[in-house]
Amino acid sequence: MSTTSPSLGRMSPPLVAPRVTQIVAKTLLWAATALTVGVLVFIVAFVLRRGLPYVTGDFLTEAPRDMGRAGGILPMIVGTLYVTAVAVAVATPLGLGTAIYLTEYTRGGFLTRVVRFGAECLAGVPSIIFGLFGFVFFVITLGMGWSVLAGGLTLAFMILPTVIRTAEEAVKSVPPQYREVAYTLGASKWQAIVKVVLPSALPGILTGIILGIGRSLSETAAVIFTAGSSLKMPVSLFDPARTMSVHFYLLAREGISMPKAYATAAVLVLAILVINATAYGLMHRFMKRFS
Amino acid sequence: MIDAPYRGAEVGERTKIEVVDLSVRYGSSVVLRGVNLRIRERSIHAIIGPAGSGKTSLLRTLNLLAIEVDGARVDGAVTLDGKHLLLGEVPLAQLRRRVGMVFASPQPLPRSIYENLVFGPRLAGVRKRVDLDALVESSLRQAQLWDEVKDRLDVSALKLSGGQQQRLCIARALALQPEVLLLDEPCSGLDPISTLKIEEALTELSERITIVLVTNNTKQAARVGDRVAFFLLGEMVEDAPADRLFTAPSDPRTNDYLSGRFG
Ligand SMILES: Nc1ncnc2c1ncn2[C@@H]1O[C@H](COP(=O)(O)OP(=O)(O)OP(=O)(O)O)[C@@H](O)[C@H]1O
Ligand SMILES: [Mg+2]
Repeated sequence: MSTTSPSLGRMSPPLVAPRVTQIVAKTLLWAATALTVGVLVFIVAFVLRRGLPYVTGDFLTEAPRDMGRAGGILPMIVGTLYVTAVAVAVATPLGLGTAIYLTEYTRGGFLTRVVRFGAECLAGVPSIIFGLFGFVFFVITLGMGWSVLAGGLTLAFMILPTVIRTAEEAVKSVPPQYREVAYTLGASKWQAIVKVVLPSALPGILTGIILGIGRSLSETAAVIFTAGSSLKMPVSLFDPARTMSVHFYLLAREGISMPKAYATAAVLVLAILVINATAYGLMHRFMKRFS
Repeated sequence: MIDAPYRGAEVGERTKIEVVDLSVRYGSSVVLRGVNLRIRERSIHAIIGPAGSGKTSLLRTLNLLAIEVDGARVDGAVTLDGKHLLLGEVPLAQLRRRVGMVFASPQPLPRSIYENLVFGPRLAGVRKRVDLDALVESSLRQAQLWDEVKDRLDVSALKLSGGQQQRLCIARALALQPEVLLLDEPCSGLDPISTLKIEEALTELSERITIVLVTNNTKQAARVGDRVAFFLLGEMVEDAPADRLFTAPSDPRTNDYLSGRFG
């Protein structure tokens, strides 16, 4: 471009007409989006195409036989949901409590920054390290053994940073006027948080929880060391369990049965899709009610 | 200069709120100093003054929001029916219920009209549906909003127009059956019709409750105020019955402000 002063009227015309720039930019953005969606669809389609033909009623309702070469994956489905439920049940109150404390009760001081930094670091720790920690701490030191509880707690710590960060952002984005309105109507600080701040922040909080659920459902490394890989149906919190992703990993890794492995993967992918869709549906209905 | 008729000066003489030698500071900046003000029961006390003169700070001190939310340092005394607010003689929740507040910009909560109105009463322990319904209707009527919304109480409050939202906020404060209502420029940004409706509502309300009305509309102060206090740079310059302040201000600064020489 020219180096003359950019006074209006004397500027040299742009090398490319703005309309062309516009079209090029739009095309590039469209291509990026198409590529992203394309890759996603490809992966899902790949897994479903290989796995779905083997997903039958029996596959969903039977226990595995012969190390998983035959039979179904009912104990794995139960184990996955069980471990995830424990993780979410532990991480939600802890994460939400931390987020509320940080945003509402500290004035962005040193503590807030330390906790936030810690959470960020925690979020970057590879899941296998969580698995190792869970194994040493929950399984061995606390004597929980390989169990739903040990697996769930490990996953809880793994998803905690996500839950804290998203909840914090959600709580912070609630307009401060809402709190003041609550105060002027006789609410205490706590009542203002519970009755006004949290309902407004709920969609954001739920987003974090949904992300956490997704990670828990699909996590392999952190649970194989902590929940174990038992093929039996877990009943109590102290029973060992094998999650679907661990089952898939073992079936594929040991070359036990590729069809069963893909069928397991297909169920896992569908489960994640269904759970996300349901959660977002609920969220949408809730948001409609509150605005 | 002022063409509106004045309201009679024979208003109640009992003191509802008394402010004695009040000063308010945010950090090192003093925003109110040495303010003395007596607010009489069942009257409309208008507060006027240029931007930054401390009107909002005064209002937010009367319900202690300045201390709780803004972290202001407050010295002096503020009494409500003789009870010292700064000494905590009235519990905070009780104070907020007895002294309602309406902000300058309408602040509906993101929920239905009905839920906005019953928020305060529910917190105060009103549970029965019939009681809540009665409070909703009476407060909406007092705020002159009932006819416009009676068929759509379930609609989100955010769907109302700005003027309706502000009247909803007044109704919401009234649903707690307060003794005092603090209003911070409630008509700024509203059309003349909405403004008129709010002024009518306030005039009617002042037969039962005490109203402190901050306004940067001098004519509004003249129309509805029984007494008017003029603030300038954190000081209360003059406080007098409306007719006197507007016709024969005793302080030259008041005169300057009213004749548009500054502000
Ligand atoms: N939370 C706060 N922290 C620090 N300073 C504040 C705060 N609130 C108000 N102030 C300062 O106090 C002074 C008085 O402000 P205030 O809002 O009371 O004025 P006002 O008379 O209501 O003005 P306006 O007519 O513009 O609403 C201003 O200088 C303002 O900057
Ligand atoms: Mg103000």
